[in-house]
Amino acid sequence: MKTPDNWEDPTPVPIVTSCKQAARLVSMSFERRLTVRETLSMRIHLMMCKTCTFYGRQITALRTIFSRHEEVLSNTPASDDEKLSDQAKQRIKCFLSKH
Amino acid sequence: MGMKNKNTLYPSTLSDPETWVEQHGDYLFRYAMMRLRNKEFAENMVQETFLAALKGKKSFSGRSTERTWMVGILKHKIIDHYRKDFRERPVTDLQNLQFEEEQTVDQFYDAMENPRKYPKDWMPDQQAVLSSKEFWVVLHGCMDKLPKTTSSAFAMRELDDMDTPEICKELGISSTNLWVMLHRARLQLRECLERNWFEKK
Repeated sequence: MKTPDNWEDPTPVPIVTSCKQAARLVSMSFERRLTVRETLSMRIHLMMCKTCTFYGRQITALRTIFSRHEEVLSNTPASDDEKLSDQAKQRIKCFLSKH
Repeated sequence: MGMKNKNTLYPSTLSDPETWVEQHGDYLFRYAMMRLRNKEFAENMVQETFLAALKGKKSFSGRSTERTWMVGILKHKIIDHYRKDFRERPVTDLQNLQFEEEQTVDQFYDAMENPRKYPKDWMPDQQAVLSSKEFWVVLHGCMDKLPKTTSSAFAMRELDDMDTPEICKELGISSTNLWVMLHRARLQLRECLERNWFEKK
């Protein structure tokens, strides 16, 4: 089995990184605190690279959207396919009545 | 005033279980669908939740609403479901999965090299997006394209806001496994949303 790119590679990331590495650092920054070196190389890359900056903004926006999904559940009416069907309701009621 | 309101807001007794399905069924179903993306599983989870609530009536403390209490039960049921799903996979399968995920990640980067596919500067008007029904339809469509295990891990992280060590412990996977999955999910979702939502707006 080929060893996948190592995420926990102890060798420090280069200060000048590729987009691939930078995008990974952005994603990683959601999961754990980046080392000083990682933060620095991410920042330097983002300063120079519009593509990765947009990428970072997009996945940050995605996070916010997901974190607020319960508001959506409470505040927007469910469409029919997001509701329990009448059959399912009947079935569940019947099931519960036996307990 | 505060006390009185609190008491009416959180009655310490539960409502009649016969009314539960009508009162909470749709909400719980929608909640489950968001995470499971499978009607049959979601219906099943709702049923299991009501059953657990019925059997555990005494554990209701009245410190939250009846619905919040049920959502808590449902959340645990869904995590159990994910756990079973992961545990039933052979280890080699997970290694393969990670390998595939790495390759997919590479494909997404390759796609980004193409100037026409550079990520665009979309800063969604979050309020508008959140209340847009069509947006959620597109987003769900995009989530459905993720491998099931990836979308489960992603749901635990982003919808349930569990932290990485907690998810790894529940699913019995390494943090590297998880990081790759989450990274891939983000890459794929942003690409899918850009193509199917933002470019069309």
